[in-house]
Amino acid sequence: MRSRAKVAPSWRAALAAAAVAVAGPASAGLGERAEAIAVDRRALQAEPGGAVAHEGYTVERMASPGHAVREFVSPAGVVFGVAWDGISHPDLSTLLASYEPEYRRAAAKPSPTGRRRRRVRTDHVVVETWGHMRSLHGRAYVPALVPHGVKIDAIR
Amino acid sequence: MRSVERRLGAGAVLAAALALACGGDGGGGLPDTGRNVVPVSADGALCGGNPGTYVNEPCVRVTVCSPGTQTCQTIDDVLLDTGSFGLRIFKQVLTVPLASISAGSGELAECVHFGDLSASWGPVRLAGVILGGEPAVEVPVHVIDATFSGRPPSCSNPDTDPASAGFNGILGVGAFAEDCGGACAASSNTGIYFACSGGSCSGAAVPVGQQVKNPVAALPQDNNGVVVKLPSVAAGGAPSADGTLVLGIGTAQDNAPGAVSVLDLDGSGEFRTSLAGKSFSSFADTGSNALFFDPPGGVSLPVCASNPDWFCPPSAASLSATNSGASGRGSAAVAFQVASFDQLDKANNAVFPTLAGPGLGSGEFDWGLPFFLGRAVYVGLEGRSSPLGTGPYVAH
Repeated sequence: MRSRAKVAPSWRAALAAAAVAVAGPASAGLGERAEAIAVDRRALQAEPGGAVAHEGYTVERMASPGHAVREFVSPAGVVFGVAWDGISHPDLSTLLASYEPEYRRAAAKPSPTGRRRRRVRTDHVVVETWGHMRSLHGRAYVPALVPHGVKIDAIR
Repeated sequence: MRSVERRLGAGAVLAAALALACGGDGGGGLPDTGRNVVPVSADGALCGGNPGTYVNEPCVRVTVCSPGTQTCQTIDDVLLDTGSFGLRIFKQVLTVPLASISAGSGELAECVHFGDLSASWGPVRLAGVILGGEPAVEVPVHVIDATFSGRPPSCSNPDTDPASAGFNGILGVGAFAEDCGGACAASSNTGIYFACSGGSCSGAAVPVGQQVKNPVAALPQDNNGVVVKLPSVAAGGAPSADGTLVLGIGTAQDNAPGAVSVLDLDGSGEFRTSLAGKSFSSFADTGSNALFFDPPGGVSLPVCASNPDWFCPPSAASLSATNSGASGRGSAAVAFQVASFDQLDKANNAVFPTLAGPGLGSGEFDWGLPFFLGRAVYVGLEGRSSPLGTGPYVAH
C-alpha cells in the first residue's frame, strides 16, 4: 500500500532547487534533489563512491570508516531511498532530511527488549534497521516517491 | 601506554569476590561450579526483577572490581550475549570505582549501536572482571551512561537505565576479542569511539588494546572461546531454564567438544543458513530473544494480527534448516518449530523454544535464544586455536 507524500515531488524538487540556487541546500537525504547528495556526504564525512545506473533508478554511493551509504535516485532526480551497512549506523538526521522529525516522533516509543531489528513506519516514511555488533544494516524510503516499477527490495 | 590486558595476579581478589558472591545476595541454590563455569539462568534466579516482560532472556552474574584492588561487587541480571563483544554495565548499578582511560586531552567514551537502532553511550573504563571461578582479568569495559559528557548527535536513542533496558548490563562473549577491532584503531571517524573533555566529545582512533574487550579473550586459560549449554524446554514453554556458560573449548573436561559441525564465520561474525531453498546470512545470538527470519515462499508463517513482531501460524510449523560456514565448509541441520505467539502461555512461562518473528526484509536468519535450548553451541574466538580449529567459528 502506498501512502501519500507530504509534498508533491515536483514541488519538493522545486523547493530543493531553489534552496540550491539561493544558499546551497541546508540538508539533503530522502525527498531531496540528487544534487544535494554531496551535502550528505560532507555531513557524514564520507568519500564519494560513484554512481551506478539501474533500470528505473540510479544508486549514488559513499563510504566512511563507519559505514557505506547508498542513496537511490529516481529518473526525476529525487532521492527516494537510502540504505547502509557498517560497524555503526549513519546519523539519520542527515539521511532522513525533512522526514526526520516525523520519524523521531514515531521512534520515541522504546523498542521491545531482546530484538536486533526494528521497523518504524510513519505516514510517509519507512525506516528498517537490523544486524548486530560489527555488522549493522538499515534502509529508509518514502513509498510515495519510489518510481513506478521499482521494487522496494531494490533498496539495499 | 599501560597495558589494559594485565591480569590481576592476586588470588586474594578472587577470594574476596567469592566471599561477596556467597554473602547471601541471592546466590543461594546455584550449583557448585568449576573454575571455568558461569551459571546461566534464562528468566530465572539471576534475571532480577523483570518477570513477564522479557521472555527468553539469558542472565549471568559478573563480578566487577576496581582495577588492581580487592574492592569488588557482584552484578546479576547481566544479559549473556553471543552477538556482541565486551562487558557493558549501567552506571546506576556500579558501586565500585573504575579507572578512566585517557584519550586526547580527555577520557575515552564510546557509542555502540545495535540492530534495533538503539545505542549504548558512556565512558570506557578499566575494571577487574571475574567470570565464574576464573582469576580476575583487567579489561576495558563500557559504562552505560546516557548523560555522560557531550553525547554526539549520531549516538541517538541511547539506553538510559536498567529498568527500561531489562538488564543491568551485557556480557558480550561472541567470536571477536574487541567490540570494534582494526577499523577503530585506523580511523577517528567510525562513530564508535570518542575522546571527551569539558563536556564535548570528538571522534577518536583507539588502539585495539584499549577497546572494550571480551573478557574471555583475556583469561589466562580457557581463553579460546565459550560453550553455551542450555537445557531443552518443552514446546509449551517453561517458567525458567538453568544452564551454563563454559569458558574455553577443549581446555578442560567440561568443555571437550562432542560431535559437532564447525561453521567458520566471516569478518562480521556471520555464517550461512538455507531454509526451503532460500539462503540467508545468519548469526547465533543469545541476545536475540527469538528466531527472526523472513520465511521463504512456500513456508507460510503469518504475523500475528495483534502484534506484527511475532509469527502466529494457525498450527505449529515444523521446519528444517541447514547451517553452513561462511566459506561453505561445514554443514549442520537444525530442526525447529514455530508456534503462535498468541497461544503461548505467557501468564505462567517465560522461556519459549517455539518463539519466532519476521526478519523485516533483512535477508538475515537470526538464531536467537530458542536455537540454544537443548544443544551445546561452541563459539570460537578469532585467531585462537582449539580442538575445533581456529576461530572465528560457531559449532553445534
